[in-house]
Amino acid sequence: MLSRAQAFVSRLWAAAPIATIILSLALAGTFFFGVRTVLFWQDRAIKVQQEQDLADWMTPRYVARSWRVPPAVILDALDAPVPPPDGPMTLAELAEFRGVPVEQVIAEAESAIAAFREGTVRDTPTGPGRTRRDD
Amino acid sequence: MTETIVELITDYGIYVIFASAFLSCLALPIPTSLMMLTGGAFVASGDLNAWPVGLSALAGAILGDQTGYLVGRLGGGALVARLSRSPTRAAVLKRATDLVDRRGGMGVFLSTWAVAPLGPWVNFIAGATGLTWLRFTVGDILGEVIWVTVYIGLGYTFMDHVTVVAQIMTDIVGLVVTLVLAAAATLWIRGVLRAKAKARAGRL
Repeated sequence: MLSRAQAFVSRLWAAAPIATIILSLALAGTFFFGVRTVLFWQDRAIKVQQEQDLADWMTPRYVARSWRVPPAVILDALDAPVPPPDGPMTLAELAEFRGVPVEQVIAEAESAIAAFREGTVRDTPTGPGRTRRDD
Repeated sequence: MTETIVELITDYGIYVIFASAFLSCLALPIPTSLMMLTGGAFVASGDLNAWPVGLSALAGAILGDQTGYLVGRLGGGALVARLSRSPTRAAVLKRATDLVDRRGGMGVFLSTWAVAPLGPWVNFIAGATGLTWLRFTVGDILGEVIWVTVYIGLGYTFMDHVTVVAQIMTDIVGLVVTLVLAAAATLWIRGVLRAKAKARAGRL
């Protein structure tokens, strides 16, 4: 069996060595990406549920949309210029613009989100989805 | 990686999206998919407008493809002629050229989105083997519209999971590309074996 497989491969190699190399690499790649896709599929629920942490590369509007808070709430809390003077501004750029450390800006955004969520729970006895501030 | 891309997009906006789409269509290793996904995420957040982002990506990709085709057209002919010196190789190349002639438009269309990493090479081959400019351009534009819409749309929809989407898209595209390459190599080997068998039969 093994010798027949060997004979088959050497026949391919003799006929077209470059194509045989490409075929071997492509099959190895298929296996690699196939395994990764299956592993991802198994963990997909965990990966999608994970809420990302606030990071200095996010813009105030990105934070607002991601955490489902109206943009005005975040823009106010962060004292962000509206519209930004030179295109979209990340939290890091905003911190530099205001002359404060980025950690402070992130902390302000976190507490604005927390305050809004608390308000949401208090204001909507029927549950999440509709909020007073969204109206 | 995400930080750098975001910084580039917030600093240079649609120009960086245009440039990255253009360069990646010339086979330069640039993470354009992640760039599109991030662009889509910023459209969702309201930081960027959808039309400029989509049109700059589309214009960059189409111009990049056209450049690759032109390079193939101008410089590829000589390479094909050189490769055709060996009779076996000439037979395989003839089959490949016939295939491009028959299915070239569809090949270009699929290579721009379904197997995007092969796109730059397909553009070059299409130019070198003489696929007409009109057929190339029709397949190219239709395919790039799908590519741009899919990636910006995914970024828009999954704006807070851009890196997760980028990872799974890389794996799925990698899987499809390696399968296509395996199929192409199999056809190549079969072509050579047939050409050799024919040559042997001719001698007998």
